Amino acid sequence: MERIPALAISQIVKSFRAHQALKGVDVRVNEGGIFGLLGPNGAGKTTLIRMLTGITAPDSGSISFFGTPLNRAHIAQIGYLPEERGLYKSMRVGEQALYFAQLRGMQRQEAEKRLRVWFEKLEVEGWWNREVADLSKGMAQKVQFIIAVLHEPRLLILDEPFSGFDPINAQRVRDAVIELKEKQGTTVLLSTHDMGSVEELCDEVALLNRGEVILDGPVHALREQARDGRFTLRFRGTIMEFTVAIGASAELIQVLHSESTVGEHEVMLRLSPEGDISSWLHWISGEIKVVACTPWKPSMRDVFIETVESRESNSIPS
Amino acid sequence: MSALRHIIYREWITRVRRKAFILGTLAVPLLVVGSMAIGWWIKQGDTQESRVLVVDVAGMVSQWDERFESWVPICPECFPERASLTYRFAAEGMEDEAFIASDFDVMVVFDDAILQHHKAMYYYEQTPGLDLQSRLKTDLSVALERFKVKATPDLDFSAYQRLKTQVSLVGQDIVTRDGHAVGRSLVGFVFSLFLFMQILIYGMHVMRGVIEEKINRIVEVVISVVKPSVLMTGKVIGIGLVGLTQFIALSILVWIITLVGGMWLEHADVLKSSSDALVGLDLESWIAGQAELNFLLDVNWPLMIASTAMFYVAGFALYAASFAAIGAAVEQESDAQYFLIPAITPLMISYLLAFMAIENPEGSLAVIASFVPFTAPVVMLIRIPLGVAWWEVVLSWLGVVLTAWVLLRMAGRIYRVGILMHGKRPSLLELIKWFRHAD
Repeated sequence: MERIPALAISQIVKSFRAHQALKGVDVRVNEGGIFGLLGPNGAGKTTLIRMLTGITAPDSGSISFFGTPLNRAHIAQIGYLPEERGLYKSMRVGEQALYFAQLRGMQRQEAEKRLRVWFEKLEVEGWWNREVADLSKGMAQKVQFIIAVLHEPRLLILDEPFSGFDPINAQRVRDAVIELKEKQGTTVLLSTHDMGSVEELCDEVALLNRGEVILDGPVHALREQARDGRFTLRFRGTIMEFTVAIGASAELIQVLHSESTVGEHEVMLRLSPEGDISSWLHWISGEIKVVACTPWKPSMRDVFIETVESRESNSIPS
Repeated sequence: MSALRHIIYREWITRVRRKAFILGTLAVPLLVVGSMAIGWWIKQGDTQESRVLVVDVAGMVSQWDERFESWVPICPECFPERASLTYRFAAEGMEDEAFIASDFDVMVVFDDAILQHHKAMYYYEQTPGLDLQSRLKTDLSVALERFKVKATPDLDFSAYQRLKTQVSLVGQDIVTRDGHAVGRSLVGFVFSLFLFMQILIYGMHVMRGVIEEKINRIVEVVISVVKPSVLMTGKVIGIGLVGLTQFIALSILVWIITLVGGMWLEHADVLKSSSDALVGLDLESWIAGQAELNFLLDVNWPLMIASTAMFYVAGFALYAASFAAIGAAVEQESDAQYFLIPAITPLMISYLLAFMAIENPEGSLAVIASFVPFTAPVVMLIRIPLGVAWWEVVLSWLGVVLTAWVLLRMAGRIYRVGILMHGKRPSLLELIKWFRHAD
């Protein structure tokens, strides 16, 4: 039997006057996973997230939350860390975290207990009675993250959660997200441009471009699919000799790296559709000095750029 | 409801605990009491015991008394003994050095030429206060009048005094028998001025609060938890309560200061009857004896305070709605000036009307303005101390409440769109579009 998804977003359309921000978006987020919502600036990610948090409503389409249509009662089960975030400067740190917890319906004592645990975990203890104005940017980000997760939401929406952090604190927050997923079974919707985080954290992703989902699926499958028969070859000699040697047997896609002192080059290649890699490698080894040959695995950054650029070039009218 | 309670509390507590709020609240009564104390102290300086030597060269107001072997006034009641003023008389003036060495503060010198030019010279080491100068003039004038009357054989001084007439006007309302209308309307003006300032100051707090949330992007987190209308309502109520807290605190402080100050003044025997210089009085009797102050006893203070609080609540909600909408529409305070002018114009007009209403509190302009919701909170407070029918007050207040409710709903529509909008300042036309398409 198919599991009920944490989020089932179906045919969402949203327009702002003449501009259509979302054009029938479909996204399915499985329970207990980390789902990456990717896309260039202006793709419609924030608009979609604002709908999930009830800030705006879609013009048409539906959103279901763990099997029931999303409504305001679900807000208490959602944690949200927006990309543009701030804190009240006139409040103390602990008092402010308590305020947001109580806004979400938590009892003061319980909220205080959980806050102490989180403050210790993210090394914010000692800042409880300090003014928000005294916090560094990274410290404020950690407090904002704690505010988003304190009420133990079933769905946690993080919009660029790692921006502004130094590598150590970014890793600390990454670990906290993984812990939430593994220990509490929290479903995480992660919107980010940090593709390293996507590879490290996400189980599945959806790529939005100009208000449409142009790619979605598990991260490993998308990377595999994007390989498209490409591999890398390291050889000794000149590029000219190599080009002459391969002739039409393979397509030279890109020169990745050259070491002129030893005359070594690394290139990315794709065989012709009827080609066989082992016989081709045997043949080319007789033509030039092959140092290494490895299958190419694209990063999520490559997937992102290639998919968006390919869509953009296809959409340019001839 | 719980979220609204937390928002209200946050808005209230983060403001009332600020040092600026506490100092500001304490400063108002302290400034009033301080300025009164300084005035009293200056007056005390003026009324400290003064010894005056009257040098009556021609013997017109004084004569030699063999029993006391000194010059005494011919008319003792013309130079009454006061705690702050003692007269001594002489026929010859003192040399300058002798006067400086003496314990006299002032030496008044005149001869019979005073009957022609009505002028007397007076000498001093330190300039005498206006109060002392006034008393000297009065006493000397009465004594010389008596001398002149005595010098006129066919005139009797007591008959002259009976005939002497000085008219003063005492007004009274023919229906209410009220004689202190203008004084009480001044009390109303003080309250309405306070209410005007509170609405303006705390209305600006609402606007700044909304702008802060918008600039800091806190609003996105908050409205993902509560509806924008709840956030705006909480902000308006919370900040409104700050103003109300200040009003209540000021009322209590003024009451305590009046009570303690009055007790101290009574205890220190500072308050004296004007008719009998030596009899001490309680504060209320003292006020009753002061013609320019006794209207204060006719004011229904609890009614005045309650009415101010009620009209403040309704009036603040009415104006705060506009301030919240303006705050949501802009991203910095300087941009807000563009919208502020139309928003606060009715408030400024009500202040001008209130000023005019002091002169004629029951004039048609004041009566109409006290029923127009935008001007009613400020203007009605001037009429209330004069005795307005209860239904008029209730009707006026309900009008303000109803208008505030409508405006809050309208402002809420602009607010919910505006707080998420960033970029250039919207035009009035765009605000209308936000209002129409808020759903």
